[in-house]
Amino acid sequence: MRNKELAIETKSESLSHSKIPKVTLPNYEGWGDILLWSLRENVPGEFPYTAGIYPFKREGEDPTRMFAGEGGPERTNRRFHYVSLGMPAKRLSTAFDSVTLYGQDPDHRPDIYGKIGNAGVSICCLDDAKKLYSGFNLADPKTSVSMTINGPAPMMLGFFLNAAIDQQCEIYIKENGLQEKIEKKIDAIFKEKGIHRPEYSGNLPEGNDGLGLMLLGVTGDQVLPKDVYSKIKAETLSQVRGTVQADILKEDQAQNTCIFSTEFALRLMGDVQEYFINNGVRNFYSVSISGYHIAEAGANPITQLALTLSNGFTYVEYYLSRGMDINKFAPNLSFFFSNGVDPEYAVIGRVARRIWAKAMKYKYGADARSQMLKYHIQTSGRSLHAQEIDFNDIRTTLQALYAIYDNCNSLHTNAYDEAITTPTEESVRRAMAIQLIINKELGLAKNENPLQGSFIIEELTDLVEEAVYVEFDRITERGGVLGAMETMYQRSKIQEESLYYETLKHTGEFPIIGVNTFLSSKGSPTVIPQEVIRSTEKEKENQISTLTSLIERYKEEAEEQLSKIRLAAIRNENIFEMLVEAAKVCSIGQISAALFEVGGQYRRNM
Amino acid sequence: MERVEPYKPKNKIRIVTAASLFDGHDAAINIMRRIIQSTGCEVIHLGHDRSVEEVVNTAIQEDVQAIAMTSYQGGHNEYFKYMYDLLHEKGAGHIKIFGGGGGVILPQEMEDLHNYGITRIYSPDDGRTMGLQGMINDMVAKSDFPTGININGDAGHLGKNTKLEIARLISAAENFPDSVKDDLNKIHAEAKKAHTPILGITGTGGAGKSSLIDELVRRFLIDFPEKYIAIVSVDPSKRKTGGALLGDRIRMNSIRNDRVYMRSLATRQANLALSKHVDEALSILKAAHYDMIILETSGIGQSDTEITEHSDVSLYVMTPEYGAATQLEKIDMLDFADIIAVNKFDKRGALDALRDVKKQYVRNHNAFDLTDDQVPVYGTIASQFNDPGMNALYRTIIDTIKERCKVDLNSSFEISKDMSEKIYVIPPNRTRYLSEIAENNRNYKIWAEKQSAIAQKLY
Repeated sequence: MRNKELAIETKSESLSHSKIPKVTLPNYEGWGDILLWSLRENVPGEFPYTAGIYPFKREGEDPTRMFAGEGGPERTNRRFHYVSLGMPAKRLSTAFDSVTLYGQDPDHRPDIYGKIGNAGVSICCLDDAKKLYSGFNLADPKTSVSMTINGPAPMMLGFFLNAAIDQQCEIYIKENGLQEKIEKKIDAIFKEKGIHRPEYSGNLPEGNDGLGLMLLGVTGDQVLPKDVYSKIKAETLSQVRGTVQADILKEDQAQNTCIFSTEFALRLMGDVQEYFINNGVRNFYSVSISGYHIAEAGANPITQLALTLSNGFTYVEYYLSRGMDINKFAPNLSFFFSNGVDPEYAVIGRVARRIWAKAMKYKYGADARSQMLKYHIQTSGRSLHAQEIDFNDIRTTLQALYAIYDNCNSLHTNAYDEAITTPTEESVRRAMAIQLIINKELGLAKNENPLQGSFIIEELTDLVEEAVYVEFDRITERGGVLGAMETMYQRSKIQEESLYYETLKHTGEFPIIGVNTFLSSKGSPTVIPQEVIRSTEKEKENQISTLTSLIERYKEEAEEQLSKIRLAAIRNENIFEMLVEAAKVCSIGQISAALFEVGGQYRRNM
Repeated sequence: MERVEPYKPKNKIRIVTAASLFDGHDAAINIMRRIIQSTGCEVIHLGHDRSVEEVVNTAIQEDVQAIAMTSYQGGHNEYFKYMYDLLHEKGAGHIKIFGGGGGVILPQEMEDLHNYGITRIYSPDDGRTMGLQGMINDMVAKSDFPTGININGDAGHLGKNTKLEIARLISAAENFPDSVKDDLNKIHAEAKKAHTPILGITGTGGAGKSSLIDELVRRFLIDFPEKYIAIVSVDPSKRKTGGALLGDRIRMNSIRNDRVYMRSLATRQANLALSKHVDEALSILKAAHYDMIILETSGIGQSDTEITEHSDVSLYVMTPEYGAATQLEKIDMLDFADIIAVNKFDKRGALDALRDVKKQYVRNHNAFDLTDDQVPVYGTIASQFNDPGMNALYRTIIDTIKERCKVDLNSSFEISKDMSEKIYVIPPNRTRYLSEIAENNRNYKIWAEKQSAIAQKLY
């Protein structure tokens, strides 16, 4: 079809002057073989997308996505700039601290205080989000932001969207030479309220041009005319690119950061998706349907895939039942898998794509764009060990190779020291090098369908695919995903599989090098970190004062917005629409509290 | 590793277990609490994401010897120290704190916490050298001291806010009834003067009693902003080990309120649905002038009518899944209960169940003069927020109590005539979606193979 014009680019040349094709085709002659191959495999970019959803990999953008999140927004912002400096595409992945993940505000209360900015970044309001992503143009097509948050995902999304909109307002202000006028306006606002204008604490890192900081403490609609603001808002919404995890089903099944009842959380997800459709948010994934946590909790790869896809189809059914058009919401769905060393991981992407495409095309009658399953994959944290931690990079390399050969759309490689501590800059650099070496140095990776045509790969693909359907049938017997959750079917299954692995690991039947076999002369002891990175007192205090200043600044406005949210919930209107407005003046904890009143809190299970 | 025998406690030991605030890692504490139970302890399990205040208040109200926590999410130094401080501040410094957090808690931090007064933080190395049972044995042995002793005139000044004293007296009545006879007599006299109504709740296991109670309590606290409510919840002890899982608190969100006291009791005699000392506990709470008491018993079901002897108004909680209508004739509580909730009303056959239970109620109570609307049988979905059936049930309970006990519980809780209706995430006629997809995709495979065979023939 497009062979002629792309002919030159479809091959690369090795040092030995061999021509390495990007995509190779089978040399079958029998029509039956050719047909069967194209119905079940096909070239990348063609239904059923077994080998990949695009004909070729994206040029100039490797699937590398780097995770960061520690301390306050400034520290994480510096880390983001450090890891992405010089990279053409800015692919940022954000880890939040546990206070944020549970939808609460930072506080001096010691059981909260100790967790501010630890194991993730503390973000409780719009200003925090503005600082966090400052210097990255969020509406640039080469910027893509991923946010790992679930229960309070709608609130974080509200902060993010407003941060993106205000960045574009700032660009507009600068382009139109309104800087001086607007600065005066902002100063006047703060003078009237008698409080200090918030600012980015410390120096800007290399690569941060300060974009997004001009409107700290205010929002674009306070300083720009209404029509200008509305136009900028609409444009920005159609441009922002990224992902918010927001997958509440797997939270209840495996990870436990639920804050609302499952039904209410699902409703919020539906509201977000509906808002995306109504406002043309096309390049942002409203959910990242995640198997990662299911696998980390102990599930084997088949269970990971089966539960994750079943959760995915549950969202599809729910959104359909709300009257949304499949072709409008399916492209907003994305997936997230874990990649271990088990054989099934060699084909996890292939099986996922094939199942999804067939279901979308023939069961739901969806269009081609909706048939394409896109996924991010992260090497398995559970496969890293606290003994002989140097060996961990070897495991990660193998997993990354599985993922890249399988044409993942996005990849995160874990640092070798993650089993014992928060990764350092040094260990993160090594993890990035793993991907770069595969993508830039490894010759076979110049070919983009290296798995196709392998007997074992084809057999594994069929095997795993059928195993997933068997699991689908088991879940149906239990009343579908939600019915099965009531009796904690998924949870028990994950626990059983976890126990099986632990037992084999303990007895040594499942060999793990440097852990239960091939021990060093010293017995390969557990490595204890010398020190761990913790947030500083100053960072914690900064977070609390950001919050205090917000609450003081918007006393009346906040209450008004919160009551709008409550009313929308009671009247069964779209809550997220109100939430985007509330995110300008409210903290995450304030919004959580308002939603608890109208939706109920999560009730734990035994 | 050698098999370690469980330690045999000399005293009745009660322990609160939980995972730290904003911490969803509950796998380890779930394993631990099972071993603690099988070592003969009564475990009040709170699950994950619990604040220091919640854990400390639970420990005090339940009068436990120890708290066992896991903390994998960081912030453990502040968390454990705050817990220690808060226990002391509330006069419960005798409660021991145990913890673990894998490799997250560094060795020097452990030492620091031990010096501060935390009884013991267990490290992964402890796990390897002592084994799980060994660790639990160490912990239980350190917690093996009596509770309910040194009752220094607590009986004299009971009040709604003397939760520590209330808790201690209940323990005394449970553990050393003879030595506190005088105190108990004083309490009985005081309790007689109080007119605290008691709502007895019983029902089949898995009927959703704790969620339903949580929803009742939530409505009560909104409805009566000045009033106090107590909950006594009885669960069975295991005859084999003497341990018990007291698991009602984990489901309850509304009890996190100063106007609530909750006590979980183990039967300690496995054949009784109600703890032997339940009457004493109720008297103590009456003497403390609580405005209402909910007494809940474990789901023994068919022979659970004992609760009516302890309560003024009784509620039976069941689900639509009882089998054929004739099964209803075997349920004694349908003779005795004043009010019945058919919970999990979203289950199949719910409307039929409601009709059959109503019929049975009318027959058993000879209440043939009641119209269908007046029969106090309600379909409820306690797990659903602001469920109309729950609202109606709550209002009927309060109105019945008010009338029967002549207390000033004037409810202004608004109810609608609506029936509980499940707001479905997945419409009921779509629940087979996964198998439909499996079928769809399997058919594709068969089709592809057939097509290929045809093509091969043509070739």
